Amino acid sequence: MTSKYGDGVSSDATLVDRLLRRDVSAFEELYDRHSRIVYALVVRILQQTPTAEEVVQDVFLQLWRNAARYQSTRGPFVPWLLTLARNRALDHLRLKSERQRRREDQTEELPAVAQAPEYEKALDEKRRAERVRFLIGTLSAQQKKAIEMAYFEGLSHSEIAKALQEPLGTVKSWIRNGLLRLKEGLQTAS
Amino acid sequence: MTAQDQFRELIEAYALGALDAGEREALETHLAAGCPECAKALEEARFLVSQLAYLAPPAEPSETVKARLMRTVRAEEGVARPRTAKTRGASIPFWLWAGVAALLLLSIYSTWDARKLQKEVQEVNARAAAELKRREQLEQELTLAKHEAWILTDPSSKKIDIMPNDKDMPMLEARWHPQMGIYITGQKMPMPKGNKVLQLWLIPKAKGSKPMPSHTFWPDANGKIGEMVDDPPEVMAQTKALAITEEPAGGSQQPTSTPLWVGGVS
Repeated sequence: MTSKYGDGVSSDATLVDRLLRRDVSAFEELYDRHSRIVYALVVRILQQTPTAEEVVQDVFLQLWRNAARYQSTRGPFVPWLLTLARNRALDHLRLKSERQRRREDQTEELPAVAQAPEYEKALDEKRRAERVRFLIGTLSAQQKKAIEMAYFEGLSHSEIAKALQEPLGTVKSWIRNGLLRLKEGLQTAS
Repeated sequence: MTAQDQFRELIEAYALGALDAGEREALETHLAAGCPECAKALEEARFLVSQLAYLAPPAEPSETVKARLMRTVRAEEGVARPRTAKTRGASIPFWLWAGVAALLLLSIYSTWDARKLQKEVQEVNARAAAELKRREQLEQELTLAKHEAWILTDPSSKKIDIMPNDKDMPMLEARWHPQMGIYITGQKMPMPKGNKVLQLWLIPKAKGSKPMPSHTFWPDANGKIGEMVDDPPEVMAQTKALAITEEPAGGSQQPTSTPLWVGGVS
């Protein structure tokens, strides 16, 4: 994987390698680099600042304690971290009791590393984020809403169809077509 | 549409976590069977879905999160760090360790010494404050004693016998100095009952005038009274008598009981 960072700035993969050697400064750099997007995602899902901060802390502690389970050769770091953060936040959202939360926390399930598609290398993170926002902004309000309900609220097709009072097939099409348009838009940008 | 195509269409929604149970289980079975095309599509879909995080409005965690996190990580790092001969000896020279140790000792000593000095200063301040307070009390007592002596010995003081209504009660004596005040003494005084106090009243000569309230007081544990009223109104000539009643704690504006002692002034 190519480094997206300039001379003297370590790539995420290099920092994660140092993390495996219990390098605290590498951990701090990863936190400084990615805590904002992780927090933004978690607070969007949970809509509660104190719990969001708790989850962000959990996510980064998982990273510190289980860095070995992230395989940098298989895919980029940030999508993996974001998936981990989303899963943790949705766990919190769904769980009914503190006891349940503790039990699930103990499983420490980590997401699979997503293989980077070709277009991942074409844009740096900032430009890709802008592109994602632009592309999703081109969807219809209902289509965007359905995708956001699935992603930020962890709802299934049928739950979204019920909430929006739309046919199940329509919701499925909205989500699939919306994601495909996002994919094509990112590919076109590369 | 083949079954393969149908599964392929579910991949993005599966990565998003939006499939309902039936479709999800069917796709997972298909993936577990080792379909390479769907496995590759799923990798890409996972990446694609992760990009939706950028739709979240920008937000920044508080500094507290990082501070807590770094504290935990540093504590765990200190526990888990492997202590090899190389890291201990070769990378940092002995003289540097010695310097660090000396600085550490100096720092500990300085902190201890500063705290000790601080404690001593606090103790000295507390002693000085106590001494000052005691001196002020003594000065007050001395002033009062001089005051009492003046009233008791000055020829211009008027002696007033305050007689009890009950013959079993002791007689009290008051000395009223026109400028210095009234000093009341007595012995073998019973303690007022319940939550009551003794209160002095100045009974005016003028008909229809109400008694003027003055000090409240109690006898001491030995039944002695030595009550100084150093701020009486300048009304000796207009005062017919002094009276003492039992009143509720805090005193009253008008007598609420019959006087137990009365002494004529003029």
